[in-house]
Amino acid sequence: MQMPTLAFAYLPLILVAATAITVMLGIAWRRDHRVTVAVTVLGLALALVAQVAAWQVIPLTTPLLAFDGLAMLGGVLILASTLACAVLAHAYFETFQGAREEFYLLLLCAAAGGLALAASRHLASLFLGLELLSMPLYGMLAYAFHERRSLESGIKYLILSAAASAFLLFGMALLYAQTGELELSALMVSLTDGGAGAWGLAGAGMMLVGLGFKLSVVPFHLWTPDVYEGGPGPAATFLATASKVAVFAVLLRLVLTAPAFQGEWLNTVLWVLALASMLVGNLLALTQSNLKRLLGYSSVAHFGYMLLVLVVADGLAAEAGGVYLITYVLATLAAFGVVILVSSATDGEDAGGLHYYRGLFWRRPFLTAVMTVAMLSLAGIPATVGFIGKFYLIALGVEAERWWLVAGIIAGSAIGLYYYLRVIVTLFLAEPGMHRRDASPDWAVRAGGLVVLGAAVLVIALGLYPAPMIALANAAGGIIAP
Amino acid sequence: MELAFYLSGLAAVLATLGVIANPNPVHGVLYLVVSLLAVALVFFTLGAPFAGALEIIVYAGAIMVLFVFVVMMLNLGQAAAEQERLWLQPRTWIGPSLLAAVLLLTLISLLWRDDIQRVIEGGELTAKGAGTLLYGPWLLLVELGALLLLAALVTASHVGRTVPVAAPKPAARDMPTGDADQPQPPQQPARGESSSPAGKEVL
Repeated sequence: MQMPTLAFAYLPLILVAATAITVMLGIAWRRDHRVTVAVTVLGLALALVAQVAAWQVIPLTTPLLAFDGLAMLGGVLILASTLACAVLAHAYFETFQGAREEFYLLLLCAAAGGLALAASRHLASLFLGLELLSMPLYGMLAYAFHERRSLESGIKYLILSAAASAFLLFGMALLYAQTGELELSALMVSLTDGGAGAWGLAGAGMMLVGLGFKLSVVPFHLWTPDVYEGGPGPAATFLATASKVAVFAVLLRLVLTAPAFQGEWLNTVLWVLALASMLVGNLLALTQSNLKRLLGYSSVAHFGYMLLVLVVADGLAAEAGGVYLITYVLATLAAFGVVILVSSATDGEDAGGLHYYRGLFWRRPFLTAVMTVAMLSLAGIPATVGFIGKFYLIALGVEAERWWLVAGIIAGSAIGLYYYLRVIVTLFLAEPGMHRRDASPDWAVRAGGLVVLGAAVLVIALGLYPAPMIALANAAGGIIAP
Repeated sequence: MELAFYLSGLAAVLATLGVIANPNPVHGVLYLVVSLLAVALVFFTLGAPFAGALEIIVYAGAIMVLFVFVVMMLNLGQAAAEQERLWLQPRTWIGPSLLAAVLLLTLISLLWRDDIQRVIEGGELTAKGAGTLLYGPWLLLVELGALLLLAALVTASHVGRTVPVAAPKPAARDMPTGDADQPQPPQQPARGESSSPAGKEVL
């Protein structure tokens, strides 16, 4: 491979890292919130363009990273959601008393980690990418540290994430002890030749625990609602979108390339986890009166659905996973975006309680429309993008004759309908006569509002005309480097 | 060699248990030193003297000294002298010393059998090997590690800020939005239209 091509593939990562350095130097020189946001957004937008342009040169592999369709799709989704988070953070932190600029520095570092993670094909880059993704999140979640809940969520995530990293490392050590390889493709060869063996299976299982924690799959989901609720809105949004996309991309590559994951035993574990996540996530979401907690449990359920892709892991699987990731990210960005626009870092904890949204329609009809669209899409109603995703998953499950999982998706969607619609009903109820929390009057013409509106428009547009999205996921699923 | 590996591994596990189980931070730190030394010996037995030396220099040396300093400084007070005499009782140091003695015996018995190359199974990882790997094909990892340290530093410096941040206005603080399923804040005076039965049912 020629150097210029390789540099082209690395360009998004380099741009994000360079932007982080620029922001750091800018903070050292003079603090300015607007300029910091402008630099961050510019850098991320350039990286997004470079990421899209890098489709031309794939597939490329280096010893550590694989630039294949999965990495490209993951990179585009990570950069787009980081961009949305940066813009929304501008609205959120505008009146924040105290240092606001570090948030963007942490956001950029985490995005770089996400890019590296989504492209990793080596256990070393997998681990460092994952740590680089999680480490800044501790700071982002605890950013409003004078707020008890924010600090609590940061510390909770720190401790539990460290435990998960320990599991991941132990799993890697066992796999290495079994095979003497760190590269995923070489791991695959050794495990196929000699059989996975007890240590190999144990290693793969422990890695699954570590990554399952980051994806908040049942039974490793316990941190999710608390962290989502307590963390500042933009940090929770990043956690729900970019962070999960990166981990899911690497898990998909791991499952597609390492046969230890396709063995009978681990496959059973995967589908039990999937079924448990679908049902437990949805059932726990039923009783939530806090929108952020509700979205947390809903993300548990959605990643339960997505685990179906890992269970099947052939044919249509990568494409279905890509489509579902796109739908999930769009709807989640829109829903969290509305929460962020209604909240502000100065007003104490975020406007999570559903009662804040009561009668929102009578005050902010368009914001309500965005939230409604997001909820309908998460519920999987036709004409929204969520329906296309669900359709793909069910088609995949039926084709592979995974009836339990298909039944789980259908039951989960039926339960989910109740709580998503409950949120929508709340939005349209009569106003209780209290205007405690509200978006600023000119929210729609500001950057954060545009992001939220754009996400909602995309949810509808891709729901009605999904061809571009399917083509994208198809192209991504077609090129998986070993 | 295998026996040495298992002995030092056992010492590491026991010492780490001592760190976790100890209610007194200074005792815990003592165990931690032994644990790190044991891990270094594990590295030596596995044929990675460079990693072992780094473990001793960086962890057992630099970082542990900082730990001990901080713990000592936090314990300054009137009762400090009394405390220190208490710490010097045998039951404080006997555990770590025993484990350290096991490590020492292991090391001596290893050195007794000369020609260390023969007892190490597998290749030897040298500083040169680690360097050429890290700054050759794995350069990306060094860069990612640098970003990771930057993020950790920024996180620590931000969360550790003591400059008072303007406290959130109490007026904007609402009822705690926890699991309590309440349709309206308790401060809210009861109004006819606000507490319509339909609303309560849905919420």
